[in-house]
Amino acid sequence: MRVKDLETTLNLKPLNEVYDKDIDGAFISDMLSDVMAGAKAGNVWVTVQTHKNTVAAANLVDVSAVIVVRGKKVPEDTIQMADRAKMTLFTTDLDTFQVAVKLYEAGVRPNR
Amino acid sequence: MTGGKCQHNWQMTDVKDGFIVTEKCYHCNLLRTYFSFEETPPKEEYKEDDHYWDYAGSAQSIKFNMKCGCCGKTVTFENLMGLMQCVGCDANCYINIVSQICEGQNIWVYAGLAYSSGAETDLPVEKLDVLTNYFTSRLKTPGKKILVLPGSLRKNPETCRGEVLKDVGMLSLTPET
Repeated sequence: MRVKDLETTLNLKPLNEVYDKDIDGAFISDMLSDVMAGAKAGNVWVTVQTHKNTVAAANLVDVSAVIVVRGKKVPEDTIQMADRAKMTLFTTDLDTFQVAVKLYEAGVRPNR
Repeated sequence: MTGGKCQHNWQMTDVKDGFIVTEKCYHCNLLRTYFSFEETPPKEEYKEDDHYWDYAGSAQSIKFNMKCGCCGKTVTFENLMGLMQCVGCDANCYINIVSQICEGQNIWVYAGLAYSSGAETDLPVEKLDVLTNYFTSRLKTPGKKILVLPGSLRKNPETCRGEVLKDVGMLSLTPET
């Protein structure tokens, strides 16, 4: 699956440019330390976090896209930082569980 | 292994959860940070030598070491507080200058910050290189690299607004008081 497929399959709202990258697995956590230790390159990261250090962590481990759940408002400086890192930020009103189910139905699996 | 010298394939190991605790001496205003494995961050005031340490905040984080998957060598990171990405708050800061130069080449600069008591200390260059190699090896984006630099390259650590990768206020069971 590609990042642009996520947008349509999960009906997500992109907050910046949709960068064309492969999605390889999913990682769900709201803690940056978890992401540093456990996320893998190519993952889509599902979180409620909106602060710009979210992008700093995502960029460090090279996740392909970030989905911010529960309709959280994402600050403009976070979006700008994501664009610098060429990383797509999506938002959705769905909660984490609903996004996880939709990702699974779309064939995206958690890290092993 | 090449010519008897291992090229090293670093893997994160000994990952443990805990808190980055910041304390301030209420006599001389010295700040210091350290890592605590306690379930909740310690907040008691106490006297140590000439200082009277008072809790000034905490953030959840992890402590880890690196182990080479090829030769088994382990490098400890007991003094690594966290990695920080520059946000460009000071045009004359070396981290900012290097970040701007590198970003055009898809090299992403992070400052490796060490625990400190007063004057800023740095991790040894060899350990910064291990972090650089480890995080770069995890990337998939072609041409992208991570570069971990010494925290002392920040022009002014007191006013630096860089984004440190730590989790502030994430435990409802341990509210900040």
